[in-house]
Amino acid sequence: MLHLVCRQLLHRPLRTAFTLTAVAATIGAVLVIQGFQSGIYRQLPGLVLNRGGDLIVTQAGITNMIAARSTLPQLARRRIEAIGGVEIAHPLTAISAIFARHGRKTPIFILVYDSAGGPRNIIAGTAPKGPRDIVVDRSLARIHGLRLGERIEISEYAFRISGITTGNVAFFTPFAFVTYDGMIDFYMESKVVGDITTFPLLSFLIVDLEPGADRDRVAAAIEARVPEADVFVPRTLAANDRKLGRAMLGPVFNLITAVSFVIGVLVIGLIMSASVNARRRSLGVLKALGFSSRRLGGAVLFEAAIVTVVAFPFGMALAWGVAAVVDAAAPLYVVMFDDPATLLRTALGCAVFALAGSLIPVRVIARLEPAIVFRR
Amino acid sequence: MLHWTLRTLFARPAYLLASACGVAFALMLVIFIEAVFAGESGRIVNYLQKTKGDVWVMQRGVSNLHMATSFVSDWKVARIAEVEGVRKATPILYMNASIEIGGRQWFSFVVGMGEGEGRAGPWRVVKGKRRPGKGEVVIPATLARITGLDIGATITLNTKKLKVVGLSAGTFSMANSVTFAHADDLSDVMSAFGMISYVLVDAETGVDPRILAARIRDRIDKVNAVPLEDFIASDREMAMQMGVEIINIMSLIGMGLAIVITGFTVYSQTSRRRRELAVAKALGVRNRAVYGSVLLQAMCIALLGLAIATALAYAGAPLIEALVPLVALTIEPEVPLRLGVLALVIAAVASLIPARQVLRVDPATAFHG
Repeated sequence: MLHLVCRQLLHRPLRTAFTLTAVAATIGAVLVIQGFQSGIYRQLPGLVLNRGGDLIVTQAGITNMIAARSTLPQLARRRIEAIGGVEIAHPLTAISAIFARHGRKTPIFILVYDSAGGPRNIIAGTAPKGPRDIVVDRSLARIHGLRLGERIEISEYAFRISGITTGNVAFFTPFAFVTYDGMIDFYMESKVVGDITTFPLLSFLIVDLEPGADRDRVAAAIEARVPEADVFVPRTLAANDRKLGRAMLGPVFNLITAVSFVIGVLVIGLIMSASVNARRRSLGVLKALGFSSRRLGGAVLFEAAIVTVVAFPFGMALAWGVAAVVDAAAPLYVVMFDDPATLLRTALGCAVFALAGSLIPVRVIARLEPAIVFRR
Repeated sequence: MLHWTLRTLFARPAYLLASACGVAFALMLVIFIEAVFAGESGRIVNYLQKTKGDVWVMQRGVSNLHMATSFVSDWKVARIAEVEGVRKATPILYMNASIEIGGRQWFSFVVGMGEGEGRAGPWRVVKGKRRPGKGEVVIPATLARITGLDIGATITLNTKKLKVVGLSAGTFSMANSVTFAHADDLSDVMSAFGMISYVLVDAETGVDPRILAARIRDRIDKVNAVPLEDFIASDREMAMQMGVEIINIMSLIGMGLAIVITGFTVYSQTSRRRRELAVAKALGVRNRAVYGSVLLQAMCIALLGLAIATALAYAGAPLIEALVPLVALTIEPEVPLRLGVLALVIAAVASLIPARQVLRVDPATAFHG
């Protein structure tokens, strides 16, 4: 059967190339959609995990860093640093803002930091040094055409871009980084409200432990000493962000994935039908020679399987190409399908839609009359 | 030649339909992604649309409700109410938060309403109270259905436990569900005492909201005032802009798939009719005419695919919304029109390979046995 299928595929190389391209494009599309989903989920924990520290302190009841408004009392830092086993507690403030330029608006997440929790993955320039310095992610720079050293305005306060990072994005929202000096000046000079205490001054504390300190014991001590706070291991807080993202975006992405799989079934069904239709005469000859419908149907299923297996790496290559284009043109999004789960899910999905799709032409074969071979 | 083209195309209607369906599903991917963003953008501005109001006042430098943070000193509400042309000024506190409902975290925008103030509250309540008192909350009915909660259940906003006293309709969204709480509870959570977030202004009859907004900006220090229409447009535009790249990329992917499917179909049709093409060429039909025929076939498939995609999308959207209530789908009327242009591009590109095949057909083969 392998010989028969291979000969049929090699007999019309252009048609086979077309078939492979169509199937590869379908696989590529499915992979890209899955990759978008994985990319968004993969971006989410970065907000927490890139801040460092052994423990992260939030306002009591706040279980996320993303999409949450955490406010800690000013004295919390001093109280936490007095606890045995705590080496230092670094302050971190998160501010949601909207950056507008040339008619386009982008929500941004400004992270105000002091001694830790600042920008990672700087690809150009430096971390903020002066109060007017700001580090922005390249996704924001790409959307608004921003360059290093350029002056930008946020809430009527002028910053200078001192650095550009990569990969500091989550929930379609790029991050920006300023120092506390910058934040105080921003609050004072932008003069948007009379009372500076209205603004969040301390959102989180990133706690470094002394070598050998018992993490769980210190966490319990912090919660006992500062009842207004909750303490998390960064991994847990990151997992919470990821869970929130899944809850929000999961249904829509699952729906899009389901639609893409239906498209996959249809495309493969169409291609295999076209392939069988084009070979009706030769299939009629085989039937006249005594090949059963079952055997010929099996050959079609086998052909679909071979086409899908051969097309899969091409589909992956196409998806890699799209991922590279997305990375260059729209760094707000990440297309990631390198994790085994995504690849396995897609491969299994492709196997299913190859089988389901080839059932359509199998019916054509079952109805095929051997007499067709004698017609002109 | 036109007759031959159409006869060839419709010779196997099932095959034509299958090809058009392939194109349709590729285009549906584009329509679907756009519909998701448009649907969600529509839900995002639902609160503004339903609460109406003529002008919204907020912190200077802010011009959005969605994803924005705004603080205005509460004494300014009285000043705003005194501005000529203002009938009523309703303050609200507003914050985005992750709320624990039914054991899961949900992202929501929380509106804090003053005691006895229903102006900025839910516009339709399907069960329970419309105005939450202290320690109470009104949540979207959809969210209650998903989480299996009902009146009397407890939700957690930060550490504050709030009792569900009402279920509102039209307030659910994946990115922007609206929860209504008492302003005192919210100011506790936000530690925002003496502050409000936005002021909803109702104008006196006959007052132009634009003129009123300008007057408020002029008279009240450090605030921005925006007519409702502009405020809605600003939020909707920002939400759509957040997804514009993803839409463009999915459009390219859908277009690529549609090109391959159309090209494959036309190529298959042309392959089957090589002898007929040879005869036509032997009879003096020029290559240009034959290529025109191939292009016409491709256009018919692409446009038929678009028609099927549009019909399926309009028919399927309510069904999907019923099955997956978390997802809102809105198909903007201009999308099928825009995809019509895309379909023509698809047809032109898809016919290139079959066209090469046509040009290579040797008229002499018509006389071979």
